[in-house]
Amino acid sequence: MSAEHDDMAGRPGDTYELDELLGAYALDAVDDDERRRVEDYLAVNPRAAAEVQAHREVATMLAFTGMDAPDDLWSRISDEIGEPAPPLGEELAKVISMDDRARRHGIGRIAPWIMTAAAAAVIGFVAIGLTDRADAPDEPLASAVDVALANPDSATTQLVSEASDSTADAVIDPDGNGFVLASDLPALPQDQTYQLWGVVETGDVISLGIFGPDPDVETFTIEGSVTALAITIEDAPGVISNGNPDGAFVGAF
Amino acid sequence: MRREYTDASDAALVVSIGRYEQAALAEAYRRHAGATFGLAKRLLSDHARAEEVVQEVFVRLWNEPNRFDPERGTLRSYLLAHTHGRAVDLIRSDASRRNREEKEARQQAAGGYDIAHEVWDIALAGHVRDAMEKLQQGEREAIELAYFGGLTYREAADRLGEPEGTVKSRIRSGLKRLRAELVHAGVSVGAD
Repeated sequence: MSAEHDDMAGRPGDTYELDELLGAYALDAVDDDERRRVEDYLAVNPRAAAEVQAHREVATMLAFTGMDAPDDLWSRISDEIGEPAPPLGEELAKVISMDDRARRHGIGRIAPWIMTAAAAAVIGFVAIGLTDRADAPDEPLASAVDVALANPDSATTQLVSEASDSTADAVIDPDGNGFVLASDLPALPQDQTYQLWGVVETGDVISLGIFGPDPDVETFTIEGSVTALAITIEDAPGVISNGNPDGAFVGAF
Repeated sequence: MRREYTDASDAALVVSIGRYEQAALAEAYRRHAGATFGLAKRLLSDHARAEEVVQEVFVRLWNEPNRFDPERGTLRSYLLAHTHGRAVDLIRSDASRRNREEKEARQQAAGGYDIAHEVWDIALAGHVRDAMEKLQQGEREAIELAYFGGLTYREAADRLGEPEGTVKSRIRSGLKRLRAELVHAGVSVGAD
């Protein structure tokens, strides 16, 4: 075990104790103090993180119960997320086309101010996607960001706002894996969230993801062309289109 | 271009959920709500509260799909981990904990180990039962009390009258042994 891991664990030799806790941690069978210590350890030890995930996958096997969820539960979930419930079953299993998607996530009033900020350069992908970790499963997120930043073919921009001194840097690697370093953005009330938008080559503005009220390093993927990114502040859980331009952070490529 | 969500991978579903495609969430619900509800109900012994947990888990998936990383495991594992964590939180903060434990103790005294009754897939049930039976008794008891009882390893140790370190180690070794047995039996266990 490395000295670095010992340091993160708190005291030399604690890594053995923390390793022994991984099974209990995976089953939520530790107290709050131990949970925090284990999570600090996992953040710097991909092997331990992989072990926890393996334990959870085993627990998944134990949890196969064969029960059906209650009939009306889906309707309640649908009500809570605020849209009419599609019926459950094969007939709902459609993906809208790119054209339809562009209309649904379209430009609205958010567009003019983003387009003003957007430069002519185009990052060469075709729209849209959310959240994928790049690279190997065990590679820490910070390393993935470092790799993207070091790649001369990556595109970078800084998202700034006239209403704030805070900024957020964004990088998109040649494969379309995007990262927003959003830890400097001020924390929002719990009933608000940051939302990421991208301007695609057609000029449409598409939601790329919800960051929550206190973002850190956030990830997204794109498969197309974006000329600019923007982060808006929305009421939780976010909006489908027409983002709020007030205080938005904008960066053009 | 159109395609069926029913043919989509879980990772693709989550990407679509991130684009506010409620039909994608519906498909994720169709695939995994039964397992999440079953786990929540087993932990909480309360139908209504189990429904609340499942609702919370799927609404969270809708609101924060970026929390799911397909590189790190299956969607089912992710949802069940959140279900388990939330249910355990409720158990530990619940003033009716004592009533639940007494009820559970009565159930265990009457029924003993019967995990196979709650496993829906017959083949998988057989594999899981066989794998659990190959564990040492102490490992099996520790895992059951921690996972299905919602106890911390310290509480499980107290319940079993064993040292805390012993129970902690048994949970870990038992999970490793269980995984090895399932893999040996040809069961795909997540991110192998």
